[in-house]
Amino acid sequence: MEQPATRSKVSSGLLSRAAAVLAVLAAPLLDRATWPVQVPPSPPPTFIVEPGFQRFAIPDCVPRRGDEASREVCRAITQVLRADLQFENLFKFVPQSLMSAIPTMDPEAPNFTDWKGVGASVLVVTRAQVTGGEATVEVRVHSVDTGQAMLAKRYSGRTDNPRIFAHQASDDIMTLTQYRGVARSKIAFVSDRDAVPGRKTKEIYIVDYDGYNPRRVTVNRSLNILPNWSPDGRSLAYVSYRRGNPDIFLAAIYEGRSTDLTGDKGGAAFAPSISPDGKRIAFASSRAGNMDIWVAGVDGSNPRRLTSTGSLDTAPTWSPTGQEIAFTSDRSGTPQIYVMDTEGLNVRRLTTVGNWNDAPSWNPSKQFSEIAYTARLEGGGFDIAVVDIATRQVRQLTQGRGSCEYPSWAPSGRHLTFACGRGSKWQIAVADRLGQTITMLPAGPGKNEQPDWGP
Amino acid sequence: MFRRLNVAGLVLVLAASLAAGCGGKKRPPAVATGAGAESGRTLPSEVPQPVETGPDVRAVDTEGARGEDFTMSDPETGEGGPLEDVRFEYDSAALTDQARSTLEKHALWLQNHRDAKVLVEGHCDERGTVEYNLALGEKRARAARDYLASLGVASDRLRSVSYGKERPLDSGSNESAWARNRRAHFAVSR
Repeated sequence: MEQPATRSKVSSGLLSRAAAVLAVLAAPLLDRATWPVQVPPSPPPTFIVEPGFQRFAIPDCVPRRGDEASREVCRAITQVLRADLQFENLFKFVPQSLMSAIPTMDPEAPNFTDWKGVGASVLVVTRAQVTGGEATVEVRVHSVDTGQAMLAKRYSGRTDNPRIFAHQASDDIMTLTQYRGVARSKIAFVSDRDAVPGRKTKEIYIVDYDGYNPRRVTVNRSLNILPNWSPDGRSLAYVSYRRGNPDIFLAAIYEGRSTDLTGDKGGAAFAPSISPDGKRIAFASSRAGNMDIWVAGVDGSNPRRLTSTGSLDTAPTWSPTGQEIAFTSDRSGTPQIYVMDTEGLNVRRLTTVGNWNDAPSWNPSKQFSEIAYTARLEGGGFDIAVVDIATRQVRQLTQGRGSCEYPSWAPSGRHLTFACGRGSKWQIAVADRLGQTITMLPAGPGKNEQPDWGP
Repeated sequence: MFRRLNVAGLVLVLAASLAAGCGGKKRPPAVATGAGAESGRTLPSEVPQPVETGPDVRAVDTEGARGEDFTMSDPETGEGGPLEDVRFEYDSAALTDQARSTLEKHALWLQNHRDAKVLVEGHCDERGTVEYNLALGEKRARAARDYLASLGVASDRLRSVSYGKERPLDSGSNESAWARNRRAHFAVSR
């Protein structure tokens, strides 16, 4: 798996080196990426796409062969790549009606004058073919002005989920910006879709960021809740009642192993949150009598209690630096969000508006110093709000969707997920960080809740 | 013939007293239910009165006090059971007067059913976050558990767990559903 931190460092570092990089522009790149094994994110991108100004043209993928399998893969690539790049919320797009006016082009030699004519500044050409059960997909990204290829990639892999080629291509195209793409990221969530009849069991699932490709993680037919991704995307911390008591487990999801982190310490342990460096885990536990915030090694070693006020302290979330923890406490009489350092010191209250502010999620991008949380506003329902840490200004993201709860940021910090509903009808939603577009995910049957957006 | 019957009767009585077993004598007579209790109750009429009875015979000739065949909670789900739920106010883990009097009845019942163990489950209504309700449910379960302990129920017979808002009794979204869901439930097992 790719390391998110590495990748964003690479691209932001490049911003300052843009001039030096211009020299490389002359040589179009064609590197072969074979899924699922990924090529390291090098050579570095050769062009920085400025968000907001670029108008992308993404014409239909051209099958290299006329067979149905190749056409099928191509249809998926076109549809998913457009959706992925639109979701990034950074670019404008040439409408399909205008693109269809352009004569069929030779993918090897697009007529850039045509594309300039419809206002495109970036042209994404895709081709695909299926041979012997394996799909090969080529993606070229051209600057319409210069005609030069900013990026050229060839992907190959199984044909059973062609969406993954488009997701990978979208994330690769995003390396041309200073932002990290979201298309390969996944969301973990809780569902009762496989509940044992007569028992209110819940299991943990993961799904692609767009709601497709759901997969079940836990199979213990108990109550499993509150999933939390490790930063490398290979593990999920979660709470399971498999021993009758809420305890925290860590599942290596690609190996199918699960480790007990909190052991038989008595009391409840829940709300796990793994630190940005993946080495520590914060959680809430009543093992010392009161509900407090604890921090341990990610293997459960050396648990330390950080709060001890006698109030209910829950829902820890790490700052992007890993040096602070935000959490919920009712020490003032109502649940409010507080921030402290990882020694449990320098505690300060962050939310002041409203009488119930809970379930904080710290934006993992250092670019945005803000915390999303669940707020009860006028009218009694719950909604998602975001507080700016410096100014304490609050913006409300949701309204009139029943209750919306449990926000969790995408690794890029530019989007977030949460669950909306009431009673037994809950679904996962995704939104941009300003809440301008809120989409309910087709995450499948059942009551779907407690989403956690992972790498 | 008479003598033989008498012996058989004595054996029956002895067997019944043995079956009553440990602790049976210390217990106040409990409400007898189930098959064992019924056979115990019919014993006296089947025992012909001997000509000379001693106090020891009378001593074993007590009510069949094996009344432990109580209804238990579903072992899988913990639902149902002999002890009614205790309800809470919104966003509160404080025991109301009503809750206390219910718990006092439960304590009495537990004194009469010494085999019974209780898992006190704290539950919440759907309003509020998952995490907060887990903490609140824990507080509710502990409040009910601690009150039972203060009434003399041995702490090794009591455990508590919070389910927060994860296992509502009523999946509705209205005041009456919420009121039913803000509860301590008592999963009884042996």
